[in-house]
Amino acid sequence: MNVIVYLGAGLMLLFGVYAVMEHSILRAAIGLALSSASLSVLLYVLGAHLAALFELSVCSGLVTVIFIAGISLSHSPKMEIQKEYRDKERNRLLPLVLIGVGLLLVILALTLNLQTPELAQLTQDDDVRDVLWGNRQADIWGQIALILCGGVAVAVLFREERREKK
Amino acid sequence: MNLVIVLLIIGLLMIVAGCWCLMRTFHLLKMTIGIEVAMKAVTLFLVLAGRISGKIALSETFVITVMVAEVIVAVVGTGTAVGLFRKYGSMDVRNLKQLKG
Repeated sequence: MNVIVYLGAGLMLLFGVYAVMEHSILRAAIGLALSSASLSVLLYVLGAHLAALFELSVCSGLVTVIFIAGISLSHSPKMEIQKEYRDKERNRLLPLVLIGVGLLLVILALTLNLQTPELAQLTQDDDVRDVLWGNRQADIWGQIALILCGGVAVAVLFREERREKK
Repeated sequence: MNLVIVLLIIGLLMIVAGCWCLMRTFHLLKMTIGIEVAMKAVTLFLVLAGRISGKIALSETFVITVMVAEVIVAVVGTGTAVGLFRKYGSMDVRNLKQLKG
């Protein structure tokens, strides 16, 4: 189990950094999708099966589709993007920063002798559906409000476009 | 170092990468991708906390809520970026300063 967790976490970090560093937005979106897929493997191994399923279908699938739709609606050539934003030059130091911060955190963890808890054994006492619909109903209202906000935001953006056409 | 510390360090590095993207780029879509990268770490932390406390079902409900927020952030970020592109021909966030009203 530990090998898969380490592998999933490593791949998630790798693809996440690739998504940040890549100057092509399309490749960055694909990197983000691969990072989500790695995270979903990690969640499945850690025992969060429903969350893993949602991560794979929603974050790895839907969010990538949203980004690709956004990219296809804007037709700026790749070279112009590179010239305009200079992402390559700007993100050049990121690997060094990550290695530095990572080393610092490892040294801190080793020297401070932190008393970290171990992972608990998996139990099948609670069902996610019971917790979500029974104990966390406020979350559902929050989610409904969020979805409405998103719908209204998209509707407003499209209305602006129609006005411009007139 | 045990598994929990390794996952915590990897999550913190993801947050650093996401924050770096927010600070160092002006492309709105790229900034949204940076936010998404940082939110992956938040999802991992929530499941890790649930697994440590033995309340994995509760943590999964939080993860689902975070995912809904993540999708809405992606939708609104992309919609704003496309709107910005249609108005100024670029997704540079510095153009937002020119907006009036």
